[in-house]
Order: sequence, then structure tokens, then C-alpha cells
Amino acid sequence: MAQAERLEVSRTRLPEWLVEGLLRLGESVIALLVGLLVGAIIMYLSGYDAVEAYKSLFGMSLFDSYGLTGTLSFTAPIMLTGITFAVGVRAGLFNIGAEGQLYMGALGAVLVAWLATYKIRLLDSVLGTLFAYTIGVVLALVWAYIAGILKVKRGVHEVVSTIMLNWIAFWIVEYFRVYVVYNPEDPSKTISVPTHARLPLLVPDTELSATIIVSILFSLFVYYLLWYTVTGYELRAAGLNPLAARYAGIKTEKAIMISFLVGGIASGLAGAGEVLGRPPHYAITTGLSNLYGLGFDGITVALIGANHPIGIIFAAILVGALKSGARYMQIYAGVPLEMVRVVEGVIIVALAVPGTLRMLREYLRRRRELAELQKG
Amino acid sequence: MYVMNKTAIISAIILIIIIAGVAVYYASKGGGKTTTTSTPSVSATASPTATGATSTPQTSSPASTTAPATTTAAGERNEVCVVYDIGGRGDLSFNDMAYLGASKAAKDFGLKLKEVQSTSESDYLPNLRTLAKSKKCAVIVAVGFLMTDAVKKVADEYPDQLFAIIDGYIPDKPNVLSVLFKEHEGSAIVGALAGMVAHHYKCKAVGVVLGMEIPVLYKFEAGYYWGIRYGEKIYEQHTGEKVQPLRILYTYTGAFNDPARGKTATEAQLANGACIVYNVAGATGLGIFEAVEEAAKKQGRDMGPPFAIGVDSDQDWIKPGFIIASMMKRVDVGVYTAVKRALDYYAGKVTKYGGILELGLAEGGVGMSRLEDLETFLEIGVQAGKIKPEQKQEIYEKVKKMREQIPQWIWDEAYKLQDTLKTNKDLEVYGVKFSDIEKMIPLDSKEIAKLREIFKVG
Repeated sequence: MAQAERLEVSRTRLPEWLVEGLLRLGESVIALLVGLLVGAIIMYLSGYDAVEAYKSLFGMSLFDSYGLTGTLSFTAPIMLTGITFAVGVRAGLFNIGAEGQLYMGALGAVLVAWLATYKIRLLDSVLGTLFAYTIGVVLALVWAYIAGILKVKRGVHEVVSTIMLNWIAFWIVEYFRVYVVYNPEDPSKTISVPTHARLPLLVPDTELSATIIVSILFSLFVYYLLWYTVTGYELRAAGLNPLAARYAGIKTEKAIMISFLVGGIASGLAGAGEVLGRPPHYAITTGLSNLYGLGFDGITVALIGANHPIGIIFAAILVGALKSGARYMQIYAGVPLEMVRVVEGVIIVALAVPGTLRMLREYLRRRRELAELQKG
Repeated sequence: MYVMNKTAIISAIILIIIIAGVAVYYASKGGGKTTTTSTPSVSATASPTATGATSTPQTSSPASTTAPATTTAAGERNEVCVVYDIGGRGDLSFNDMAYLGASKAAKDFGLKLKEVQSTSESDYLPNLRTLAKSKKCAVIVAVGFLMTDAVKKVADEYPDQLFAIIDGYIPDKPNVLSVLFKEHEGSAIVGALAGMVAHHYKCKAVGVVLGMEIPVLYKFEAGYYWGIRYGEKIYEQHTGEKVQPLRILYTYTGAFNDPARGKTATEAQLANGACIVYNVAGATGLGIFEAVEEAAKKQGRDMGPPFAIGVDSDQDWIKPGFIIASMMKRVDVGVYTAVKRALDYYAGKVTKYGGILELGLAEGGVGMSRLEDLETFLEIGVQAGKIKPEQKQEIYEKVKKMREQIPQWIWDEAYKLQDTLKTNKDLEVYGVKFSDIEKMIPLDSKEIAKLREIFKVG
């Protein structure tokens, strides 16, 4: 009784979202520390200087001006793919299609680059940038729509359909890279986006382009969508308890479809952004090696960011720092890349544990409640 | 529940304060300590292979006597910086050869070796920029064609920094040295060998498995095809019999770091009757060797055919008895020469640094492996931990036995071609002089398609 009273009191003192936010932050910090500690032990045992390694990792990727721009440039795409996954989770899905949708988004941008180079010179301008984003998003949406339709109409589980769609997208884009939009002077990549259609660099002589602004704005938009609109409410309700949501008159199929499509837009923006804003190539390279894995990194980001758009913004910066920090650990601490990746893997796993547990708990709760409801 | 969470918050805040404290402490204490601490681990990894490299025959005969003078002239820039592309170390070929040259140069000239491995294409620019910004590198060596664009850009941004790019073509920057190899020459020799050996074993086809589709690899292709047809011609002349032209198979795997894909591609070629497969795929090639060995063992042999041909380094020891010879591309010589040239430039011994450095048969930059090369590379294999010291002799014997199983005249003809091509490039086959191929370089996708057609490839 007394405890309940205290709870009541403290609730009124601090707004709930702040308490919630601080809790999540605390959780992540503890997880990060555990990860860092385990990583340090591994490095120490392998004969590397862990202090030096961490100092160069975080010192350079977060507190050095050039390093920070690098970090943010790696942050931009994974923030968006994180949103893709998170919006899926909010609607009760495990949508891992960000990878393939990102490929399609990049392909869209390259197709426009090809048009701008050979057919319509007019597109070598801001017009081209917008058009490239549009086509990229449309292609990604098509990809997300297929997965959505399969789920809603045929009950195909999204894990299965999106994995397959990822590979189909991979080979389609490879086909286009080799046979259609290839660069005749250098077949290891596609044609590059012409100069005026590229996204401007925010800081000259770095890799940081306007993609980061697009990413943050879209994340904020998704936050607004989820918590301040009816659609968002319905989407979350469908995720929390589809039966209850349906009982309340919410069309869960529609909510699921919207979650797929919002995710598709995010991934499309990420893919097109990588092509439009990543120097020096501004293209897709052999084996999609400049895109590969960005979609899956989004899952990490979403887990760390507790599937909340605001959390994802910060989680993406952290993961971006880890990605770009690899070079500083190599250069300044002499830790070879393989070891760097082991340590980064450990940190990421530790960071993802609270999110995973929460998701698992939520999933089990939903199943239990559904079972009870169906019994009743 | 809520109380527990509050303790969690408090402990989190305390922990944040602790790390902040530790961080501040180290930040204030550390200062310029960064590079000093990095020294032991870097030199520790560098030393074992560097000792092995000393015994490497340096065909370009670098003069290491200039070392003390040049180091002081370079001043603060006392590091050899190497950026690997996404293929990376451990391929027992291209990248490991670059490491070999860099570590030898670092040792000979008293410099530190700094290595950076790239995880994706997006890493090239930041890796190069970070190194250039550090102002510690005597020269930044970009290992691989794929970094060409990034090097061009960073070289403009840091005109005081010297760069070298292996396989990349950047002809007109004073601070960039482009190290190129005449892969077509070396490939022609192993192609000729493949052509002759295949007919010796009455094979119907020979193949080549390649990495990413980049212009450098077109040079390998062109030379190899020319060599195969030339080898056939020699075979006919020597034996006096008329032979059916070999089918030539080629596969681009799209990767330099994927042995599984190399293996699948090779299995497909072997199934199509190929009995010799040329590895032009870096670490992907390790799968080629596996596939060839498995195919031979399935037929109850512990020696080829089928055979593979190694690339970049002398790979004959990796699967002894199944790798008939290797096209050695002396990336180590290229890297070493680039470092030396940079130091000479700082010392004022040469007035111009940038430009093209082309290494071919005549310069010892490429060539077909001989039995004598094997010992050097066995030693490197031992130091890399890939073979045990006691296996050395056994491997040597097996490779020797394999070589003896092929008629001596075939080897003689192949090495004779190697000598001839140094000076005389007018040799002609299928209406194509060797010099014609050389004139077409750098090749683009249309030109290589034309050559494939002429040599009836596919």
C-alpha cells in the first residue's frame, strides 16, 4: 500500500516519459559499460592496450571534428533502417526487409543518375536529387508492399518473405549494375550521380552530406506519426494486441500495411541517400559492397533505441561511432580490424540485450494474452 | 518494481560519473601518448614476416644503404601507412604481398608500419583522410584499384602528403605514384603453360576464375587467353600433331574475399571439362584450390590433374601437387619501391615523385614461379603459421615431383617464352601480336569482349 502511494507521488513529480526515458538511458549505459568491460578484457587477453583503444575509438569518433562528421555520415543510413525495423515492431511485426528495400532505394537513385547522364540533362540539378529520392522511395515501397500484401492477404510470415525479397533485390540490383547502369570506364561500379544532383556536403572535405538531416527529420516525422496521429495510435494498438484493436474497430490489416509502407519509405530514403550523398563514388559498387549490411545494422539500432524514434536517433549515433571508430582503433591503437570487430560485436550484443529481453517479454505477453482471450 | 528501477537509475548515474572521471583522468594524462603506445604492438606483428622478407629475392635490387639519411630527411613523417581494400590481409596473395613489401621497407628504412583495413567501400575516404591528417606518414600506400577515386580526392586535399596506389592509374598528380604491373605478360606465360599441359593430359578445356570486374583483371584475362593459344601453337609445333583448340571458360565471382564462391565457380568449370583453373581472385582463390584438390582426390589421385594456377605470390605450397605454378605479381617490390622513392624524394635524391611506375617481366615485377622461389615463400608460410616447419621438406618434394611429372620440354618452352617476351613482343597468334594487346591497355569492357571473341573464349 505504502509503495503504491510512493509510486503515485513520484509519478506526479516527474513526467512519465522522462522517467521512462531515463530508465532506458540507464539501462543502455549499464549495458554499454558491461560491453566495454568485456571488450577490454578480450583486448587485454589478446595483448592490446584496451585503454588506448577505447580512447581512440570514442575520442576520435565523437570528440574530433573530422571524426564526428565521419560518425554522422555512417549514422544517417542506419538511423533510417532502424526506423524501418522499429515501425514494424510497433505494429507487431519482425520486418527485416530494410536491407532489400535499401538496395532498391539505391537502385532508384542510380537509375535517375543514368537518366541524368545520358537522356535528360535537366536532371543534373536539385530536380534530379528530388527525383532520385522519389524513384528510390517508390521502388523501396514496391518492395515493402509485396511483403505487406503477402502478410495481410496470405499470412506469409514477414521474416520469410522479407529475407527472400532481400536476396531478390540484391540480384536485381547486381543485374542492373552489371548490364544496365554500369560505368563504362570502370565496371566495378554503376554510373555516378552527376555533380549538381548530388546532395551537398555539410562540411567541405568530409563525407558528411545532407543525408543526416533527411534521416533526423524523417525520424521526427515517424515519432509524430506514431504518437500524435490516429494512424499511429491504430498502428501501435494493432501491435500491442491485434484482437483488442480489432474489437475496438481498428483495421489491423491496414495498420500492418501502413507499418510496412512507412518502413519502406525509410529504407528507400536510406538507400537513395547513400548513393546521392556518399563521396567519392556517388554510385553502387561491385557486390553492393557499399550498401551491404546497412539494413541489418538497423535492427541493432532499433533494439538499442528501444524501438522509439527518438531513442533510435541516439542509438544510431552510437552505432555509427562504433562503425567509424574501427579505423581509429586500427590507426591509433594498432588493434587489427578483426579484433576491433570482435570488441564492437561484444559491445553491440551487450547493448542489444535489454531491448531484446523487452521485446521477448512483450512477445510472450502478447501470446499469453491472445491465448487467454481466445480461450475466453 | 519501481523502486528497483530507481536504484538502477541512481547506479547508472554513479557509473556515468565514474567513467567521466576516468576519461578525464586519462585525457589529461595521455596527451600525445597515442603513437608511442601503438609502437610495440605494430612492430610485434611486423617483425616475424619482415625477417622472412629479408630472404626474398628483390629483383629490383633496392639499395638499403641510404636508410639513415632518408629517415632524418622525412622528419616527423616516420611511418609507412598502408590502407588495404575490402579484400584484406590473409589472402596469401595480393594483400599479403603488399604487407610483405611494406614491412620490409619499414624495417630497412627504420620506419613504423601502420596498417588500416577497410570494411566497405565507404571506408576508403575516411581511412585515407585520417592518415593524411595525422601528418605522420612518409607515404600512404593504397593497396588496390578500388581506391583510385578516393586517392585522387585526398591527394588534392593534402598536397604535402605523398601517396602510392597499387594497380590504380593516376598519372598526373605530383604527389601520387601509380604502381602498375604488366599482368598480361605474366598471365601469358602461365597461359602458355596451361595450354601445353592441358593438351599433354588430353583435356578439352581450361578455365580462369576472377574476382571483381575491374580493368586490372582484363589485363590478366587478355594475357592468359593469348598465352593459351600461343601454348597450343608451341604444342603443335613440338609434337607435330594437330590438336583441337581448347575450350576456355571464365567466371567473375564478384568478390576477392569469398572462398566459397571461388569453390562453386571452379566446380562448375571442372564439371565442364576444365583441367586447369587460373586463380585471379585473391582470397576467393583459396576456394579454387580446394575445389581442384577435391576433384583430384575424388578420382583417387593425390596430385593433379586437375590443376590450379596460383596468383600474385608463389602459391604453389598452399595445396602442394595441385597448383602447377603461380603467376607472381611482385606487389611487395612495388610497395617497397614506392616507399624508397618517397624517402629519396624527401632526401632530395630525386626531384620528382609522382607518375607511373610500371613493373613487368623485364623489371622482375611479374613472372612465373620457379622451384627456387618456393623456398622463400615456404618460409613466409611457416611464419604466417600456415605450415609447420617440419612439413617444408615434404611440400618441396611434392611440388618437385609434380613438376617432374610434366615433360621437361613444356617447362623449357614456358620459361623460354618468359625470356622472349621481355624483348620481343611481336609474337603472334590468332592474328594478334602480343604488342597489340599491350597497345589496348587500359582495356575497357568492350575491348575485352572483342578479345574474348578473337580467342574464341566462352
